[in-house]
Amino acid sequence: MGCFTSKNIWRTQGYEEPRVLAAETPFTVSEVEALYELFKKLSSSIIDDGLIHKEELQLALFRNRNKENLFADRIFDLFDLKRNGVIEFGEFVRSLSIFHPNAPITDKIACKLKEMVLALLHESDLILSDDVVEMIVDKTFKEADTKGDGRIDQEEWKDFVLKNPSLIKNMTLPYLKDITLAFPSFVVSSEVEDSEM
Amino acid sequence: MRRNIIGGVMPVIEDESGNVLPSAGDIPADSEKTLFGKYEVGKLLGYGAFAKVYHGRDVRTGQSVAIKSVSKQKVLKGGLTAHVKREISIMRRMRHQHIVRLLEVMATKTKIYFVLEFAKGGELFAKVAKGRFSEDLSRRYFQQLIAAIGYCHSHGVFHRDLKPENLLLDENWDLKVTDFGLSAVKDQIRADGLLHTLCGTPAYVAPEILAKKGYDGAKVDVWSCGVILYVLNAGFLPFNDPNLMVMYRKIYKGEFRCPKWTSPDLKRFLSRLLDTNPDTRITVDEMVNDPWFKKGYKEIKFHSEDFEIKDNGDSGKFLNAFDIISFSSGIDLSGLFNQPEVSAVGERFLSAESPERVIGKVEEVAKAEGLTVTRKKDLGVKLEGQNGHFVALVEVHRLTEKLVVVEVKRRESEAGPSREIWKDKLRPQLSSIVFTNRNGKLRVGKKGSGLSAFFLRPIIFHY
Repeated sequence: MGCFTSKNIWRTQGYEEPRVLAAETPFTVSEVEALYELFKKLSSSIIDDGLIHKEELQLALFRNRNKENLFADRIFDLFDLKRNGVIEFGEFVRSLSIFHPNAPITDKIACKLKEMVLALLHESDLILSDDVVEMIVDKTFKEADTKGDGRIDQEEWKDFVLKNPSLIKNMTLPYLKDITLAFPSFVVSSEVEDSEM
Repeated sequence: MRRNIIGGVMPVIEDESGNVLPSAGDIPADSEKTLFGKYEVGKLLGYGAFAKVYHGRDVRTGQSVAIKSVSKQKVLKGGLTAHVKREISIMRRMRHQHIVRLLEVMATKTKIYFVLEFAKGGELFAKVAKGRFSEDLSRRYFQQLIAAIGYCHSHGVFHRDLKPENLLLDENWDLKVTDFGLSAVKDQIRADGLLHTLCGTPAYVAPEILAKKGYDGAKVDVWSCGVILYVLNAGFLPFNDPNLMVMYRKIYKGEFRCPKWTSPDLKRFLSRLLDTNPDTRITVDEMVNDPWFKKGYKEIKFHSEDFEIKDNGDSGKFLNAFDIISFSSGIDLSGLFNQPEVSAVGERFLSAESPERVIGKVEEVAKAEGLTVTRKKDLGVKLEGQNGHFVALVEVHRLTEKLVVVEVKRRESEAGPSREIWKDKLRPQLSSIVFTNRNGKLRVGKKGSGLSAFFLRPIIFHY
């Protein structure tokens, strides 16, 4: 009885069909099912309700649920597309899709990275002084602004991304490439009809 | 004995002209058919009791793959669910040029699909069946086999079912080991340090397994490698008899004769491989120094694959904001996933020396410690020693006109004193190039607060 109830919880709050999510992202149906295994693990680590709470994300990222961490907050905001304070399965998959190695570069660009640069530099392990941070940021954006018009358009941004592998490295998770091998339990429980493959 | 799910080699189905016959039944193999829109499914390559294997093609990259289709019902009926999951996790860890790689798994309600690297050259066994190999060719394949097995053992995995049928060839006729269906992981070893399951193929099985005692997985693999080497050179088995009990007796006593064309060095080497006493049997590490094995041998790096300096183009470029952000250990989502199998430990420090001077100093110190130094353009150097147990990469990045960031990544190995080499020998000798101000503190900018904490503490890199 208990098992039945918990299975219902998994399938209600924010659960979306793997084939729907696969159609909207670079993931295959099997990859989405593997991500569901990961999602179940993360969303039950503190509160077993089929949703990822901020503390659960922080626990997964840093093995620590209490320490104040601005980066964890930013990542949580990136994933919490509905802005309702929790991450549902659909949000989890859609957010991770921009980090997929096969995701188009423009999708990675669309992520609000530009606005995060200054804040991230201040939060990074370097704790550089303000003048050095500003100098580096100015230099970086001058480098990107090839037209010299004081703004960076899509075309300039795309060129800059291609010339700066570290930027894409930040926005790519190689783990997503072999997600089906990392969480193989889905192979037994897969609900995909043979006709759907 | 457990069955092999993922890696088993299937007989190829051919017509009289030797053409591979098209598939039937499991996955319709017309050109329209794709697996989850990702792989075009081609001809049936072979089948066994548990699975059918098809040729496939990655729609996006055009890469050839082998697709193994397994009936889920058979897996469940055979109580093999846990075994399949374990096998997937083992294969995920195996990334080596001489091991068939499991690329991904897919599933439907009724089937499990294993997508594997495609070995275009077929079975090594098929080539041996046409006639024995020359000693040089036998040695070449044996060296590749030992490279793969040494890699497995260094990752705590023992194959336990090595035989020519499990050795495939790629398009360059290089060896690929497959079928980890019986493989054991270190966590299955009992308190006595030994494995206790009876498995393997009779002709290739080590005497200690027949004795039904506990056995060392690494020693068992070495015995099987010995039988394989014998077969490559002779064209037939060292221990063979139509009566299974007679064959077992021969194995147990270690009774075998080398054919007359076998060189004295190879005879002696085979006797060390097929030593019935596992305690005195040659080890993978000892093979490297054997006169027969050493001939034409390139150092096998069991630990350092996919641990390279990436050439990102212009090495003279200054670090920009995004490069510095990418240095931060916080900007990392890897914690969401299982801890990566391959990790390296490292650190960064600032230097006021030129990149050339830094690299020069690193080379000088490393060579003095007897390490192999490989320069990677002007990006950095790779340091290697201890038969691949110690690997370190040193990269230099320009930060400002006057400062560079020196990044050291080193592979932490269970075997071998890699930590000591860096901590006690190399690092102290590099202190002269570390940038500090007059008070011995690192300073950048007006506040100059936190750089020392960042650049002088160990960090973890994930690959």
